[in-house]
Amino acid sequence: METPAPEVRQQVLETLKYIIDPEVGLNIVDLGLVYSVQLTQERLYIELTLTTRGCPMGATITTATQQILQKRFPRYDVQVEVVWGPMWSPEMITEEGRRQLEQI
Amino acid sequence: MSTAIASNSPSKWVVLPHYAFSAVSFLGLCLLLLLSTDAFGGHYFHPKLLTLTHVAVLGWATMVIFGALYQLLPVVLEGRLYSEKLALCTFAFLGTGTILLAYSFWFFKVGLPMHLAACCLFLSFLLFNLNLIQTARKAPKWTIEADFIVTSAVWLLLTGFIGLLMSVNLSRPFLPQDHVHYLQLHAHIGMAGWFLLLIIGVGAKLIPMFLLAHVEGTKQLTWSYNLINAGLGLFIIDHLFLHTPLLPLYALLVGGGVGAFLLFLWEAKKTRQRADLDLGMQQTFVALGLLVLPLLLALVVGSGVALPMPLLSSLYLVYGLTVFLGFITALILGQTFKTLPFIVWMHAYEDLVGRYKTPLPKDLYNHSLLRWQNISYLLGFVVLVTGVLLREPQLILAGAIALTLAAVLFTANVFHLLLHKVHELKPFPYGNARP
Repeated sequence: METPAPEVRQQVLETLKYIIDPEVGLNIVDLGLVYSVQLTQERLYIELTLTTRGCPMGATITTATQQILQKRFPRYDVQVEVVWGPMWSPEMITEEGRRQLEQI
Repeated sequence: MSTAIASNSPSKWVVLPHYAFSAVSFLGLCLLLLLSTDAFGGHYFHPKLLTLTHVAVLGWATMVIFGALYQLLPVVLEGRLYSEKLALCTFAFLGTGTILLAYSFWFFKVGLPMHLAACCLFLSFLLFNLNLIQTARKAPKWTIEADFIVTSAVWLLLTGFIGLLMSVNLSRPFLPQDHVHYLQLHAHIGMAGWFLLLIIGVGAKLIPMFLLAHVEGTKQLTWSYNLINAGLGLFIIDHLFLHTPLLPLYALLVGGGVGAFLLFLWEAKKTRQRADLDLGMQQTFVALGLLVLPLLLALVVGSGVALPMPLLSSLYLVYGLTVFLGFITALILGQTFKTLPFIVWMHAYEDLVGRYKTPLPKDLYNHSLLRWQNISYLLGFVVLVTGVLLREPQLILAGAIALTLAAVLFTANVFHLLLHKVHELKPFPYGNARP
């Protein structure tokens, strides 16, 4: 039975929470770096950003996103794109992220 | 597939030796300080004080700044470092030059060893400038932080050039005015041109990042850049050609530049998402507080107020101490534990992200050692400065002992980080579990 798209989207976000920004200590979803998750029949397309242009973690985050999703969702062709619009700002941290930051 | 985002970070063998050399230099500096308590009773042109100053500015501060910059330049300039080989040559010349210069000053060998040292250091600064400018030329977007960093490197080269001329002048006098006159020029270009501009440029990028803050616009930074360069430029022209009594005005301009930077940081602090400051950031704010001391002293010393000669001599010494062992040392002690753990972490764990439960950079060093390092440092600095002001050798010795303790704790923690090994890690199951 095929998993409905909204459920897959939720699973994608849950999976991406395994990727932690080492400096902040928050996962990339709650840090607000994942801008969009799009799903078609065969393709899983992720738009994400980085906290700053030239971020030394850029390659690590995109590669990890690609690898982790490909392993978790093998039937999809996973595509990850880094975008800069809008530029990330700390206001994009989720409520859950803010709660975690207070505990760090 | 993913869009290619290539890592711009240099090899760890380019960056980490700088941190190792710098930590050992700080320890060496404090041990030499223990042997130099008798040197703080007179003029600052003293072999032991010159040794201490140059070990502090070259082996300790410039060395770690070079290393950190090789890691940071790709972030600020959004591209790879122009040449890692050039960076290693720069390291070799800076290391050799520092050791030779320390030997030359300590034993006051003003001939060949000092000339060789000065040549090594000038070459090192020249290669550093070449690497930096070639990297900057390819930057897709120019920022005010890049302005600060590139300009500071040019001031460093000029500092090194004046140092080279002075090293020759000591054995074969040829400069038209007395040696101390050029020493003042050399010191102030180094302090305001190299260290201050560089620290502001790097701090403007890193501090908001560490605080998770977002500052709209860079107006304060532009003011800071212009005021500091104007103050320094006018000071150089005046010192060389005019000899007016306007020194406090130039100090005020530089002070205004620092004030503009502090306003920028205040804005950052207001918008920060992180409520608590870790030990590294606490120490960074201690350093920024200490920055006020040399600015006030520059105003007092430069104003020409009639002070008893012994007090004036002590104030000159304290002025230098507040810059090198105060502001700059405090900043490095704090920022090392914001930058080095991340660099070590990245080289050890970046390929394991998302697949294994990895430690975080803050888990890689000993927080207790860092806390005691910060306490010991601040205590040592206050006692040392008090001892120098009161010309009290016992206090100077006590301050030097506390600073040495801080250096031991710092070096132990740095090498603990540098020698970090990856232990067996637990793979993630990728279920519905929360990380």
